[in-house]
Amino acid sequence: MNAYAGAIAAAGAAECCWHCGEALPAGTVIQADIAGRRRSLCCYGCRAAAEWIEQLGLADYYRLRTEPAPKPDARESGAAAWQRPEIFRHVVRDLDADRREAMLLLEGVRCAACVWLIERALGSMPGIVSIQVNAAARRARVVWRDTEIALPQILEALSRTGYRAAPLDSQALNDVRRRESRDALKRLLVAGFGAMQAMMYAAVLYFGGNEALDPSTHELFRWLGFLAAMPVVFYSARPFFTAAMRSLKARQLGMDVPVALAIALIYAASLIEALRGGGHVYFDSVSMFVFFLLAGRYLEMRARHRAGDLTDALARLTPPFADLRREDGTIERIGIHELRVGHRVHVSEGGIVPADGALLDEQCRVDEALLSGESAPVTRRRGDMLIAGSVLLDGPVQMRIERVGTDTALAGIAALVERAQAERPQLARAGERAASRFVMRVMILTVLTAVAWGFFDPSRAFPAALAVLVVSCPCAFALAVPAAITRSLAVLARWGVLVVRPDAIQSLAETTQVVFDKTGTLTLPDLALSNVETFNGASQESALRMAASLARESRHPAARAIAAAYVGDHIEQVSAVRSQSGLGLAAIVAGRELRLGRLDFALAGRMDLDDCENAVLLADDTGPIAAFRLTEKLQPGARQVVEALQAQGLRVAIASGDSAAKVEEVAVRLGIAQWRARQLPADKLAWLTDLRTDGARVMAVGDGVNDAPVLAGADVAIAVAGSAELAQASSDIVLVDGRLASLAPARALAQRTLTILRQNQRWALLYNLTAVPIAALGFVPPWLAALGMSLSSVCVVLNALRIGRAEATP
Amino acid sequence: MNVLLVMIPLSILLLLGAAVAFFWAVDHDQFDDMETPGLLPLDDSDHDR
Repeated sequence: MNAYAGAIAAAGAAECCWHCGEALPAGTVIQADIAGRRRSLCCYGCRAAAEWIEQLGLADYYRLRTEPAPKPDARESGAAAWQRPEIFRHVVRDLDADRREAMLLLEGVRCAACVWLIERALGSMPGIVSIQVNAAARRARVVWRDTEIALPQILEALSRTGYRAAPLDSQALNDVRRRESRDALKRLLVAGFGAMQAMMYAAVLYFGGNEALDPSTHELFRWLGFLAAMPVVFYSARPFFTAAMRSLKARQLGMDVPVALAIALIYAASLIEALRGGGHVYFDSVSMFVFFLLAGRYLEMRARHRAGDLTDALARLTPPFADLRREDGTIERIGIHELRVGHRVHVSEGGIVPADGALLDEQCRVDEALLSGESAPVTRRRGDMLIAGSVLLDGPVQMRIERVGTDTALAGIAALVERAQAERPQLARAGERAASRFVMRVMILTVLTAVAWGFFDPSRAFPAALAVLVVSCPCAFALAVPAAITRSLAVLARWGVLVVRPDAIQSLAETTQVVFDKTGTLTLPDLALSNVETFNGASQESALRMAASLARESRHPAARAIAAAYVGDHIEQVSAVRSQSGLGLAAIVAGRELRLGRLDFALAGRMDLDDCENAVLLADDTGPIAAFRLTEKLQPGARQVVEALQAQGLRVAIASGDSAAKVEEVAVRLGIAQWRARQLPADKLAWLTDLRTDGARVMAVGDGVNDAPVLAGADVAIAVAGSAELAQASSDIVLVDGRLASLAPARALAQRTLTILRQNQRWALLYNLTAVPIAALGFVPPWLAALGMSLSSVCVVLNALRIGRAEATP
Repeated sequence: MNVLLVMIPLSILLLLGAAVAFFWAVDHDQFDDMETPGLLPLDDSDHDR
């Protein structure tokens, strides 16, 4: 039994839904037999999902999973609309006469068990040729036979398991990342094989000596080395050459230019030596050099690929369809790409607004938390703008589309992210520039050596120049940064801190100011009961029991908090429930007519109480019974992380879109003096820019789409897990669920990484300063040059391995 | 020393074989997902019996 299943059992499995883990509603209990036992489920959607999983013989999923399943959507999945040829053409690629391929973006994939479930459930359907799910990217590649199954059926099957899927544009099939990572893996392996072989053959030359082997054997091993190095230089090292060409065309000197130059020079010079029958060949050094560099880059690439990408993020936030209302009143489902300004669109309750537009109905409530960070729903009246990506809470409504595609506010935020990303200071570039300057100097030194020897002893000019080039090989320099960074990435990943952009380590270490978002980052989305005040002699226990019995009838966050606060097991009989949206609930509880809700609703305006504006009131016809005050729950670890960061000498601040009262309360509880409320994304970005002009290095921690521009504009951006796609895509570091507390140790580790990195650079410089003059004087034979190069690189790597050794796991 | 003339080509052949096998594995999705396959042995499929 795994941790999740254990937790469910401990929490009393009867209390929550077997499938999705939500609290069971009061009243009628839905049950199903799963894996030979009777289980309680919260809704018919969950029952259907659970039974379907059981029928397929996949009930093991419940044992394997580490997180509750996504709740199947009662809304129609919209699968049939994918039959429309206009949309179909967009998303499907023909492989041959009857095989079709599509890339699906999955919602609700949370752990490896989800991947297993999807692959098993879909793979067993007739007509499916193959399905591969990538949990990290939350994408699935499906190949099916058009004659046996159609795309809508596949989507239907997925939504029955509880995963909503939307096909991505067919361009997504040319999976750039997958090709990149496969390519890199192959190049790395070829370089590794080649380097091993070249070293073996070189060892014969180095240690065999001139006495033991006859000249023809020497000749043979030189050419074998050449053979082994050939695929390394021409295949594995190709990315360096193409990148160098590109930056030369753009008239820039990146790290790749000197690296490519060094590889080409050493290889060409060794070839000339081999042709002349000289002993100074460096095929082993050049292969090893390529292998070390590729290894560093491969590790960096893997870290980078963990990040989400921006286009996916946008696709996830907006629905793929809109319900178009025709002149004659009929409703037609069309693809989001077909939507035009002026279209009248129907949005159903719980639906997502497909594009920006004006509300045509009297009023509605929408959840814009994704965009504004406001935790409470907002009311929109006729003519007000509804923003794409916000969720309609009561409906249905009609709206007239005014902005589509890249003109929407959501796309605007995405554009803001992109711009801020482009403007971000590239601290890490400095190290790379230093390395490339160093390589250029070595090149000049090489030429000088050759010229100088040309005057004294032309026969030694060539070997000496080559020795300078190899012994000073930028290896140690080039490895100094990646080795330290890769090591700290690995350690941080173990701590639940996923670093997306490797140069974020440097910025993290240099941070002086932290700006937290509130909702979702420091606080949980749910509320908690903080105190109960009773009136007219009612006992706290009975007031809470009655309120909780009533609150179980509603899914409002405040009602849930009250229901959750009651720990007893006696639930009152509740009947004749009336709910008034946004105000409260009324019902007959244990024979008494009770009302639970806002002050004016509960007391029906008959009397007034002081300081109860923000409280939830329980009242009957005679007057108030109790007032429940709710507060936001702090994220576990929030207090520790703030304290630890302050102890490290950082200034901590909160910037939130929420109201001043709520922000202040949280700030006081966490001991944060600096806070700003009612901040729009643009305000936050402006504040951040001010802080940075004052010389602060800012770390921003957030989770919402509204935080995305702020995250992108900070020196180092940290998104908490489960945050909006857009926020993750624009962040440098993603914190795995519940690991907020790792933030402070992560910064300490980043500082240690920088220390080691500088040690490495200093060591590489020292080595080069000693070795190069000796080589230039012609005292370094090839074996010593190769040994020096490898040993200096190994020292750098070993030093990097010290990172994270002393630190305890947080 | 003549044994080298057999052993070296042999080692190169073996190496080529290993490289081909690895390329095949990479191209057949063996390195795309390193997490899910680790879970599969935990599945002691009652439904297959």
